[in-house]
Amino acid sequence: MRDLPLSDSPAPDRELSPDTQLSSGGENSPGEPAAMVTALVAGEADGWDRAGLLPVALLRKLGAAGWLCAQVPDAYGGRGLSSAAGGAFTAHVGSLCSSLRSVMTSQGMAAWTVERFGTDEQRTAFLPRLTGGDLAAAGFSERGAGSDLSAMTTRVRREGDTVVLDGHKVWVTAAHYADLLVLFGRYSEAGEDDGDAGADDAGEAVAVVVPADTPGVRVTRVADPLGCRAAGHADITLDAVRVPAAHVLGGSPLPLPLLVTTALAYGRMSVAWGCVGILRGCLTAAARHAVTREQFGVPLGEHQLVARHLAELLVAEQTATRACEHASRCWDEGSPEQVVAAVLAKHISAGNAARGAATAVQVLASAGARDGHVVARAHRDAKLMEIIEGSNEMCQLMLARHVLDRTV
Amino acid sequence: MSSFDTGATGTTEANEATEKEILRFLEARTKRPWKTDTDLFASGGLSSLFAMELVVHLEKTFGISIRGADLRLDNFRTVTSMTALVERLRTAAAGGTADA
Ligand SMILES: Cc1cc2nc3c(=O)[nH]c(=O)nc-3n(C[C@H](O)[C@H](O)[C@H](O)COP(=O)(O)OP(=O)(O)OC[C@H]3O[C@@H](n4cnc5c(N)ncnc54)[C@H](O)[C@@H]3O)c2cc1C
Repeated sequence: MRDLPLSDSPAPDRELSPDTQLSSGGENSPGEPAAMVTALVAGEADGWDRAGLLPVALLRKLGAAGWLCAQVPDAYGGRGLSSAAGGAFTAHVGSLCSSLRSVMTSQGMAAWTVERFGTDEQRTAFLPRLTGGDLAAAGFSERGAGSDLSAMTTRVRREGDTVVLDGHKVWVTAAHYADLLVLFGRYSEAGEDDGDAGADDAGEAVAVVVPADTPGVRVTRVADPLGCRAAGHADITLDAVRVPAAHVLGGSPLPLPLLVTTALAYGRMSVAWGCVGILRGCLTAAARHAVTREQFGVPLGEHQLVARHLAELLVAEQTATRACEHASRCWDEGSPEQVVAAVLAKHISAGNAARGAATAVQVLASAGARDGHVVARAHRDAKLMEIIEGSNEMCQLMLARHVLDRTV
Repeated sequence: MSSFDTGATGTTEANEATEKEILRFLEARTKRPWKTDTDLFASGGLSSLFAMELVVHLEKTFGISIRGADLRLDNFRTVTSMTALVERLRTAAAGGTADA
């Protein structure tokens, strides 16, 4: 685990163009960074959604300023935001463009996995790349392993100073753009029989940092996703992909459930805050429409059945916000409650966002019924948030398990 | 097992305090008593969410950082193995090699 062949990591470069002043934004307010993102994104997100593509130069620019994984500590070129401040920033981006927010979730999850499991050398080698303009994605899911990640079959086999990956991943957000892939697989030493996949549920697994241009890596975009259409979801095939053994995070295998639970904890927080953003975008659009559009001689908001939609949207947004704030506080305090609080926040926020977006489309009706419109995007994007990082059902199972574990 | 082993294995006061604290957390969290050598994750045992809670709890309570290979399940299987992990990481931290 020494001699990382990555000494050429670019020095973190905080310079954006001179006209965009960035600051870390104080305590919990995203402040100036939020204004910076608004300037870059507002008005563009609809077009990106329709084109199914984010401008790569923009991603690199945000990445090089540390904003795609803003919770990485300063020591590694990051913005060093707390979970609460990072969450507020994530929600802001989520209110404008869930595709960009999804890319941030992937980059943040990749960075968190490196930070959490990597050795000092690995953190020093990889994190400055993730805050220096390189883009990253995290791959868990496979054709046979969606909700049930213990069915994962991707193999990571040790051979001398290298490891060799064989297998595939599906639906990896941002993989289309990524320079570095953080991939999860089952580990075996050279000569070990690695034939029977899934024989051991708690089996030993590893997360490996794989440069996307390594021979044997093939990245194929998922065509026409329902939502987050510009997030660059892709399937990945791995055919005898060889990387230095020093790319195995932490250097030794860990139980798959612990590895996955830890990595996903960050993703859940990010998705949860992103859904708060979706709700804010919907509330703003629905409220504006309800005061400006008149039918039957009065603004829509004066019709009680429409007014109720606005009340429900507010309740959804506020409830999700509080759940996320609580989870972030637990995270920032290092409380063990953070684990369950993150699942709870994700579950509440995703469900609220899916229902809230449907409500917003109802209020806007034909005015919001075209692709690209903020509420139309929200409707498609939010539905997918009920599927990823622990579907509604998987969250319910985890929360139920939490209750049962505490009951005699 | 017998009482004269304790001296030989060097159970310090710090160890005992650590052990007690871990038992307290486990019992508060699961509402059932645990022995220091019970395998927490054996069949009918605890979930992977709980494993992560344990990691976070140990880090916060004992001011340590558990990274890389130290996260292997064997270190969390029993109260005894967690106590050993905590003491080892505390010693390392006191020696000035603490992880930031
Ligand atoms: C937009 C998007 C982005 C994604 N990004 C990534 C990514 O970046 N990286 C990555 O690795 N993967 C990613 N995925 C994949 C995602 O993690 C999986 O889709 C998800 O885990 C669900 O798996 P599945 O689609 O195979 O559904 P399945 O597991 O087949 O589940 C189908 C349905 O059955 C339910 N179900 C399954 N098991 C149970 C059970 N035991 N009890 C009750 N209900 C159950 C599920 O909740 C779901 O409703 C992404 C997917 C989408 C749609």
